[in-house]
Amino acid sequence: MLELNISELKLNSPLILASGILGVSYSTMKRLVDEGLGAITTKSIGPKPRKGYKNPSIVEVYPGTFLNSVGLGNPGIDNFITEIKEIKKFKFPLIVSVFGNTVESYIKVALKAEQAGADAVEINISCPHAEVASIGIDKNRTYAIVESMKKELKVPLFVKLNPNVTNLGEIALAAQKGGADAVVAINTIAAMKVDINTKRPILSHGSGGLSGKAIHPIAVKMVYDLYKILEIPIIGCGGASNWQDIIEFILVGASAVQVGTVLHQGFDTITDIINGLKKFLLDNNYNSISELKGLAHEFKTQEVPDFD
Amino acid sequence: MTKNMIETVKIKAIIDECDAVKTFEFERKDARTPKPGQFVMMWIPGVDEIPMSISSYNNNGEWAISVKNVGDCTNSIHNLKVGDYIGIRGPLGNFFQIPQETNKNIFLVGGGIGMAPLRFLASELIKMGYKFKFIEGAKVKDEILFAKEFLEHQQKDLEFYFCTDDGSYGEKGFATEFFEHLIDDLSEKDLRDSVVFSCGPEIMMYKILQICKKKKVEMYASLERIMRCGCGLCGLCVLDPLGLLVCNDGPVFNSHILAKMEDFGKFKRDFSGKKIKL
Repeated sequence: MLELNISELKLNSPLILASGILGVSYSTMKRLVDEGLGAITTKSIGPKPRKGYKNPSIVEVYPGTFLNSVGLGNPGIDNFITEIKEIKKFKFPLIVSVFGNTVESYIKVALKAEQAGADAVEINISCPHAEVASIGIDKNRTYAIVESMKKELKVPLFVKLNPNVTNLGEIALAAQKGGADAVVAINTIAAMKVDINTKRPILSHGSGGLSGKAIHPIAVKMVYDLYKILEIPIIGCGGASNWQDIIEFILVGASAVQVGTVLHQGFDTITDIINGLKKFLLDNNYNSISELKGLAHEFKTQEVPDFD
Repeated sequence: MTKNMIETVKIKAIIDECDAVKTFEFERKDARTPKPGQFVMMWIPGVDEIPMSISSYNNNGEWAISVKNVGDCTNSIHNLKVGDYIGIRGPLGNFFQIPQETNKNIFLVGGGIGMAPLRFLASELIKMGYKFKFIEGAKVKDEILFAKEFLEHQQKDLEFYFCTDDGSYGEKGFATEFFEHLIDDLSEKDLRDSVVFSCGPEIMMYKILQICKKKKVEMYASLERIMRCGCGLCGLCVLDPLGLLVCNDGPVFNSHILAKMEDFGKFKRDFSGKKIKL
């Protein structure tokens, strides 16, 4: 009922762990799959160990809405290979998120991940508080990196989109033209929080990316718009906090949905979402969650009214 | 105010506890009531944000954190003055499960700055009318913490013991050895009715776990790991192979879980997420 395929990946549930959340150790990833996730996306892994920004780097700004600037802290691909190999002992789809400082280093990290057993690679060209964002705001550079990576990789390639652009559609189309197997929409939205007592920006980096509840409606609109123009699957991502949010993403055209920030409530949340999804499908006589895909597009929305 | 939002508060008082430890008191009227064993993320504006155990709380909303000066960040904390702002997120994590039965043999075994959460636990236990035995370990006399306030409560069945490596205060030797000696004479039934709460250097808690396993005594230990979020998102405080998180599943774990935790007493993750020796 909840099973689905994305590209070559077979998922037992439409929920995928979003990159940047908990994707450090094989043991947490295993636990998340045991709770009901269909696939895991690791933390973004780069060519070398990287500490990232100092704390505060993750804070809540409204209930269920978080601001972060981790700055791509990661153990580096060579250390992370041990983790990938541990994960591969369990049979679930593993998507390794990668980044680099040049196209070549992206490719190098991705190939090492593939060799270690990654089932797919997601490229991070969109982290709003690190230098890689510059690729994701440019359609030509997006096309170029996706095309170069597709030539080298055998496993599917997913592209995580940066929402902090004026025209997301043209960047998504560039990724599709380059050969991307799916896009992930969206990454966090550039944001900031200042403490009024100390008058300081709270994050050590000053600003960061907003995730969680507040960005969900924004992500829904972006997936809705992308579904109209893309042929490749869209993986929805952005503030999904309960089963209703997952259904909503699928109705606007997502094939699967990434979850992340909601996990601050604990691992049980996943079970609640899975149970909610199953009940909704049963109550409404659907055999598969994929039957809901894109249904929101069947409704004509009102055109811009003429001036009187 | 949700628990993961930073609230900036002014430091109301600073107490010199011993050579390298200071206690910082502040007021939070609208925060959730913390329980012994819980922690906060403490922001030192312009410096860093680190996890810290709560060392005291009273019902008027007065909180305290005790900080040992061990590095750059804690050194900056020690340079703070009364009236300076700090940011607090929390209370976070789980807490020491105080037994329902008042007739349990309760042991508190701690060392170093691990005394901070045990101090909060001891004061709650006293308030609730529990009896217990408290064993504090330190390297030397100057590092013994909270002795004066503890000894005010000293009475039959509510006993405080101190151990120093060099014998400069209390017993000579490790707190673990003294604890082993204390439970040595207990009958099987008494051991079954015993519970140990511990916090301190992980190698010390590891030894306590071995003693408790041998004697079949229930034990709880409060662990510490590097964290960014303190709330189940960053994954840096993971404990392999169970995938448990110190921030959300802990910081307090029971002996059954500890026994299955391969990282316990051995490994942690650094700020990049790489696994390193403790």
